[in-house]
Amino acid sequence: MAGVSTKAIKSRMKSMESTRQITKAMELVAASKLRGAQERALNNRTYFNTLFETMDMISKGGSEFPSPFMKSPEGGKPLFIVIAGDRGMAGGYNNNVFKYTVSMLPENAVIFPLGKRAGEYFKRSRWECISEAVPVADMTVGSCYTVSRMLADQYREGRFSSISIVYTELVSLLTQTPRSKELLPVRFNDDRTVRKASFIYEGGDQAVFDSIVPEYMAGVLYCALKEGFASEQAARRTAMDAASKNADEMISKLTLHYNMARQAAITQEITEIVAGSEQ
Amino acid sequence: MNNFQLKIVSPDGCLYEGEAQLITLMTTQGEVSILAHHTEYVASIGMGRATVVTEEGRRYGACIGGMLMVAENKVNIVATTFEWKEDIDVERAKAALAYTEAELAKDGLDETRRTLLEAKKHRAKVRLAVAEN
Repeated sequence: MAGVSTKAIKSRMKSMESTRQITKAMELVAASKLRGAQERALNNRTYFNTLFETMDMISKGGSEFPSPFMKSPEGGKPLFIVIAGDRGMAGGYNNNVFKYTVSMLPENAVIFPLGKRAGEYFKRSRWECISEAVPVADMTVGSCYTVSRMLADQYREGRFSSISIVYTELVSLLTQTPRSKELLPVRFNDDRTVRKASFIYEGGDQAVFDSIVPEYMAGVLYCALKEGFASEQAARRTAMDAASKNADEMISKLTLHYNMARQAAITQEITEIVAGSEQ
Repeated sequence: MNNFQLKIVSPDGCLYEGEAQLITLMTTQGEVSILAHHTEYVASIGMGRATVVTEEGRRYGACIGGMLMVAENKVNIVATTFEWKEDIDVERAKAALAYTEAELAKDGLDETRRTLLEAKKHRAKVRLAVAEN
C-alpha cells in the first residue's frame, strides 16, 4: 500500500514540475516581450496625445462645413471595435475586456473583434460581428490604416451610428484597466467662446477634414493595439508568476507527503523485519 | 529669424520637439513651407522630403502621410511615418523598391494590390531620395 502511494505522489510531482516549467517559461517570454511592448506603448502615448491635441485644436476652430463624420447617421448601428488577445493564459486580461464591453453594449450594437479570443467570445454572444476576428499579431500600421479607411467609408454610407473602441490601458505593470473611446462622430467643442480660429484647409476644408479623420482613427487604433499588447504581456507575466509560485508550493507539499510516505514504508519494513527476527 | 514651436510625432514616438525657423514638406496638394507666425492652417501630408531649419542647421527627413496643423505659432506634424535622413534603412528601402518593381511587372494584378504596390514603391523611392542626397 505504501509503495503505491509513493508512486502516485511521485507521478503527480513530475506532472507538477513540468507544469511549472511551462508557466515559468511563459512568464519569462512575457517579461521579455513586455519590456519592448511597454516602451512602444509609451512612445505611442506621445503620438496619441499629440494626435488628440491636434484634433482638439482643429475642433475648437469649429467648422462651417458639413462633414459626414460630424453627424451620426440615422438608422445605423453603433459599432464597437473590441481589442483582446490572440491567446489565453493571461489572467483576467481577455475576460476583463469582455465583461467591460458587455456591461456597456447597447442592444443593437455590432462588434468588430480584434484578437482571436475576442472573435471566439463574440461569435457566441447575441451581438453581431461584422467580420471574422483579425489576429492582433497581424495588425501593422498599414493594416490599421486599411481598417480605419474601410470603417470610415462604411460610416459615411450610414451603416454605423457611431464607432467606439474598447481596449485595455496599461496603468502600471500590475494594473490594466479596460477603457473605451468614441471615435466617430467627431464631437466638436460647443464652447465656441474658447477660441474661434478659422483654419485654412489646404485643398478645400471638407476634403482635408474628411481625409484627416481616417488618419486620426488609424492613429487611435494603432495606439490602442499597442497599449493592449503591452497590457496583455503584463497580465500574462503576473498570471504566470502566480501560477509558478502555486506550482512551487504544490511541489513542496507533495515532496513533504512523499517523504512522509517513504518514511512510513521504511518504518513498516523495519518493524516487519524486527518482528520476524524476534520469533 | 523668428522661431516657432515644432513638434513631430509618429507612432514610433516623438521625433522632434523644440524651436524651428522653417519647415518644408509635401502635402497632398504640393509642397508647403511654414515660417513663424503662419496663419492657422491644416493640411494632410503626402509623401516626400521634409526639411527642418533650426538654429543648428538643416535636417532632412522622409515624411509620409498624416496631418499638419499650425495654430498659435505652434506646428504639429502627426505623421504616419517619419524618419530622419540618418535613420533611414537604405538596404530595406532598396529591397522594397526591387520587390515592388518585380511585382508590378507581373500580369493579372487586381486593382487594390496594384494601388498598394504603387504606394509602397513610392514610399521606397522617397526614402531613397532623402537618404541619398
